[in-house]
Amino acid sequence: MSLKNDKFPSSAAFDAINSALTGSEADRKDAIKQGNAVFAFVLKNAAGETDQWHIDLKNKGEVGKGLGDKPTVTLSLSDADFAGLVAGTANAQRLFMSGKLKVKGDVMKATKLDPILKKAQTKAKL
Amino acid sequence: MSFMGGAECSTAGNPLSQFTKHVGDDKSLQHDRLVNRGPNAAVGGFRSTNRGPGQDEMVNGFLNQTPEMAHMPLEQGHMLHLDPNQGVHMRAQNASPVWANDFHNAQAAMEAAFNAPPGTQFSADEFSKFQQMHPAAAPATASQMSAQRPMMGGGMMGMGNMNYNMMQRPMYQPMVGMHGPQMHNIPQQQLQPEGKGKGKVVELDQNKWEEHFAQLEINGDEARAMEPELNKMDEALLHSETGAGDLESIWRGIQAERDAMKELDEIDVQDDFAKFDSENLEKEDWTLNGRLGADPIVQEYLFEEDNFFRETPNPFEEGIRIMNEGGNLSLAALAFEAAVQKNPDHTEAWVYLGQAQAQNEKEEAAIRALERAMKLDPNNLSAMMGLAVSYTNEGYDSTAYRTLERWLSTKYPSVISPQNLSSAADMGFTDRAQLHERVTNLFLEAARLAPDGDHMDPDVQVGLGVLFYGAEDYDKAVDCFQSALHSTELGTSNQREQIHLLWNRLGATLANSGRSEEAIAAYEKALAIHPNFVRARYNLGVSCINIGCHDEAAGHLLAALDMHKSVEKSGREKARELLGGNAGDSDSRIDNMMTQNRSTTLYDTLRRVFTQMGRRDLAEKVTTGVDPEIFRGEFDF
Repeated sequence: MSLKNDKFPSSAAFDAINSALTGSEADRKDAIKQGNAVFAFVLKNAAGETDQWHIDLKNKGEVGKGLGDKPTVTLSLSDADFAGLVAGTANAQRLFMSGKLKVKGDVMKATKLDPILKKAQTKAKL
Repeated sequence: MSFMGGAECSTAGNPLSQFTKHVGDDKSLQHDRLVNRGPNAAVGGFRSTNRGPGQDEMVNGFLNQTPEMAHMPLEQGHMLHLDPNQGVHMRAQNASPVWANDFHNAQAAMEAAFNAPPGTQFSADEFSKFQQMHPAAAPATASQMSAQRPMMGGGMMGMGNMNYNMMQRPMYQPMVGMHGPQMHNIPQQQLQPEGKGKGKVVELDQNKWEEHFAQLEINGDEARAMEPELNKMDEALLHSETGAGDLESIWRGIQAERDAMKELDEIDVQDDFAKFDSENLEKEDWTLNGRLGADPIVQEYLFEEDNFFRETPNPFEEGIRIMNEGGNLSLAALAFEAAVQKNPDHTEAWVYLGQAQAQNEKEEAAIRALERAMKLDPNNLSAMMGLAVSYTNEGYDSTAYRTLERWLSTKYPSVISPQNLSSAADMGFTDRAQLHERVTNLFLEAARLAPDGDHMDPDVQVGLGVLFYGAEDYDKAVDCFQSALHSTELGTSNQREQIHLLWNRLGATLANSGRSEEAIAAYEKALAIHPNFVRARYNLGVSCINIGCHDEAAGHLLAALDMHKSVEKSGREKARELLGGNAGDSDSRIDNMMTQNRSTTLYDTLRRVFTQMGRRDLAEKVTTGVDPEIFRGEFDF
């Protein structure tokens, strides 16, 4: 069952993250250890509709629809910005500082998303 | 120090002269932050517009960049909006120590020029400039912005100063990490009218503004009444792709942060940290068991099971020789593994192991090895710099910045004493930005200690480069790495064996800022020096992907994996040498030796390339540990 919502093109990333997590037991355990939180996402597309997903890196180590059971932190941003975030062209820090990314809940945990996203990106290494 | 102007500074001879390019940037806001640390910093200096004749080239170059420069004020406008709420959080966008010095001189002059009326925090003059920066004005053409930039520079600077002034006292006394609780000290009233006042700015006229502002300060209700207006703005901005600035939501975000921090008993938190810190110092263990949530959990290093180097008398020496000869990095790593298994307290060997694995594109292994070195020797500079780079690559930005801070306090205790390091608390985006700025400023101070540009400590340059890279300030990062390369090539540093690393770093910075062709050139330079530099080859593959040469990319990635899987001819012979009699089974034995620390990045990226090429069949074949040999038919490596 795909997590993607066609009205939100960037949500395909959730499927990719999910397969990466569920594909390797070692990676999943590692992600839970490092993340230790439930990251909920509220995406808003150009039409103004919103939808929700969550990455559970506390209990199950998988991605699901909806906000999840007691999300640690909720990130709200546009579909386009989320696409950039996942691709590595946008940067969570910048999105937050410019107000395009809104964070609710334990804001300190939001930065834990960076290492997780980095794994999905193909960037050059210093 | 007179880096700027004058005939003695030629662009070619003085790498720092490249920094002066950035003097032209309208980063006056950040200028204030970097220079005016005193509590009575009423004004910042205008950047000096004095340029020597030799700088014309650069000025022209800068002027030609105007179209993109024009966007900066826009961004800074946003940043400015955030100021009232978040205080000092700006990324330092300016590297140049030069202009920082300029500011010291100009400050006195400016202080006289700017007279902030005691009652209101801003002069009407500044606010009119502030008006210009309002998002309503911002979507206007870039050219308009660039024309106004000089003025805005003044306005923003003033604003920045004011904000800075307000935030100064509460913010900068304790450790940076304790900013959260400290924010409570900020008088609500001061901030709110500023924040809310912005909504009114659009309609306000320069003169009437002062009245309004005074009104707002006194009458909080009026400010609150503007909420619906701001909420509407909020909605509008969310929809717009170019979202000029979203002060209200940011303010709310900050309030939420504050509230979250309020829940922690302020005093207890400070006590806890104090206890924690002393515990840490006793254990000499600053990240592994002492993580306070922000740092990654680093596990124990995983050794390869079958390691023939264990049978050699001096594996450490072997490893060094392999590295210096530019031999196979997996082989070098094996040698160092044997060395540390023989003597687990051999700090040097752990450092080399970490460095070898990093160059071998095995970041996880590198981090584990370097952290182990840190446990043995908390003041090991090479380990710290290596860790900072690795953490940056992995996305643990705050940890990287803290590591750099620590590096600086060890090598340059006069710039920052080891007592004043930031705490390892969990960090939100705001805290991280503040930490970044703080550390960048410290590094700039260290940079200024150099007698001249040619004799600058290349490690300081690299540190600065990493900091700018982390903030995506790629142009400055490029300058830093180029300077480091320059000082290394001049022979003024003892880093000759590190040149290939510098080329790779330069390449990575170019690549991540979209300059793929230049990146490829840099990687080629690195690989010319060290053909076995796996990371550079991986990066080359990534750049090929970025320019659309998927076949070539696959070739590079497979070549990198090949270096892992099989030992080069010379390596095989060396192994045979070392193994002595059992020449027959040495090949397979050697192949079986590299099973533990696999480079998931290489495999993941290879899979992605195949998918992008539309070859799902190949993508499916790529599992971690697969032998690149099976693809030899399809690709040239």
